[in-house]
Amino acid sequence: MAQPDAPGAQLDALLSSRDHIPRLPETPFSRAVDPLIEWLGRVSSVLWPILVAVITVNVLMRYVLGRGLVEFEEIQWHLYAVGFLIAQAWCVQNDGHVRIDVFAEHFRTRTKCWVELFGMLVWLLPFVLLVVWFSVPFVAYSFRIGEISEAPGGLPYRFAVKAFLFVGFVLLAIATVSRLTRVLAALFDRSGR
Amino acid sequence: MEYGQILAILMFLSFIALLFLGYPVAWTLGGLAISFTAIAWISDTLFDTFVGVDWAFTSGIVDRIWDTMKNWVLVALPMFIYMGIMLDKSGMAEQMMESFVKLYGRLRGGMALVVCNIGVLLAASTGVVAASVTLLAVLALPAMLNLKYDKGFAAGTVGAVGTLGILIPPSIMLVLMADRLSLSAGDLFMGAFIPGMLLGALYIVFIVIYAWLKPEVGPVPPNREPITFKVIWGVVRAAVPAFLLILAVLGSIFFGIATPTEASGIGALGAVLLAAINGRLSWKVLKDTGYETTKTTGMIFGIFLGATAFSLVLRGLGGDDVVEKGLKALPFGPDGIVIAVLFFVFILGFFLDWIEITLIILPLIGPVVKDLGFDLVWFCVVMAVVLQSSFLTPPVGFTLFYLKGVAPPEVTTRDIYRGIMPFVAIIAATTVVVFLWKDLVLWLPSVAYK
Repeated sequence: MAQPDAPGAQLDALLSSRDHIPRLPETPFSRAVDPLIEWLGRVSSVLWPILVAVITVNVLMRYVLGRGLVEFEEIQWHLYAVGFLIAQAWCVQNDGHVRIDVFAEHFRTRTKCWVELFGMLVWLLPFVLLVVWFSVPFVAYSFRIGEISEAPGGLPYRFAVKAFLFVGFVLLAIATVSRLTRVLAALFDRSGR
Repeated sequence: MEYGQILAILMFLSFIALLFLGYPVAWTLGGLAISFTAIAWISDTLFDTFVGVDWAFTSGIVDRIWDTMKNWVLVALPMFIYMGIMLDKSGMAEQMMESFVKLYGRLRGGMALVVCNIGVLLAASTGVVAASVTLLAVLALPAMLNLKYDKGFAAGTVGAVGTLGILIPPSIMLVLMADRLSLSAGDLFMGAFIPGMLLGALYIVFIVIYAWLKPEVGPVPPNREPITFKVIWGVVRAAVPAFLLILAVLGSIFFGIATPTEASGIGALGAVLLAAINGRLSWKVLKDTGYETTKTTGMIFGIFLGATAFSLVLRGLGGDDVVEKGLKALPFGPDGIVIAVLFFVFILGFFLDWIEITLIILPLIGPVVKDLGFDLVWFCVVMAVVLQSSFLTPPVGFTLFYLKGVAPPEVTTRDIYRGIMPFVAIIAATTVVVFLWKDLVLWLPSVAYK
């Protein structure tokens, strides 16, 4: 465990706290996609130091050259948008989304599984699928008209960043289905016990 | 009352009730948006009602998410988070701890004062409560318990002071509030500065008086060093990095040199440099900071996505009318209505945390409060003070969870609840002061950027 002289380690432990439902079984599907989701989440974490660098360079340019670049300002929110969208799937995979578990932590594991099943089928999946469904025409339209930034000197290929709305929610759907199979296995699969 | 408005009320009530199932808050919000769209759509098609919320209406969520994606101000959020987590690992707080202890060691409740001082400095350099509460708890709680401090007093001090980070700018909560009400994040930062410092000062006053009246809660350590010039010099040196960061982030916003977004990036860079100077910057620290930033950002924006959908549908059902009519029908004057709102927020804070209240409640009541003739910057700051309590009031409070997560096992939940109570009372008192004396908020923004 954490050394007393490394308080950062305590925060690590807190943020990677255990799953709300302990010992959720793996399934063939979750074994296939969960490592991919986790890998994407970790790789996308590199966006934050890049964002720090872009902001710093832009501020420096404003004071050294007397003006910042519109491209640099736009690239900032491009990076941030991609970052928080990709993070969603990883958060589902490692159960990082906030729960109010004052009562729920005392539920039996089976009850927790039923709540999880209900939440995913009635709330999360319909929500995600609705966004995916309506994001297709949204991205396609941007692609068709060759949309670029409204700002002079702004970035081209606006559909590309818009496409991450679609990509992020598709990944979220995949992570949800993976967790769904695990909860279903916990509830109904007696073969492994 | 119209059918749609009844649905709106039902939607809100079912949110509060269903939260306790323990399913993630983000998707409970997003899911209820879908459920109530379905209910409205079915009753419009089958029973000839005229709610007007259907799938085409709710598809507007895609545009709302896009608005969030291209929102340049919100870029500051992951940057402040990155800064907070990096600062947590940079060793800055440990150095302050070592030298501050020597300065305050001779006083009753000295360790609590050390926690307060470091907490306020941390709060003014960053704004992530998870980072500051865990840091203070790990650094100071074991030491305080060794000195036979009262467990509740020790835990309460750490929790309340660690929570100051979300009120004293820079703060991710103020960035979110500014975004929801289209205010300037810089104005809110400036507005919250004096009330935040006032709250910190009142904590210190409380600790001094309490430890003086009841010496057994904060005993003086037996082997104390005399205060020499060297000790004071050590304190100054240890506080320099924090002051430099505060100057870089808050100073550049205050003097109009940088926007809050730029300041957040510069602050994050400062935290990285500080870690490097202290020899703490390793590949592992860089990686972990990145991962934790992604996780924390993902968690906050998950709620953001869900709350955006929830608010869209709630408004579509006429929820904003319900709130406006309901508030204006209260038999009080404008002041009374705002007091009622704040009291309501305080009560909600027992069950919800700041993110939901900021994202869902604030946009509903903000326009009404403005209509009544109040300054929204002032109102946001008063609400930010009240929301301090949402971290600290059981059963649902982030700070309580963090404390329980990292405190030594002999500190019980009861100790934490007991210790936190006087601090909640101080928050209430500060709310009253800021409510009565609006200049505490409005003076600084009026002289900044000149």
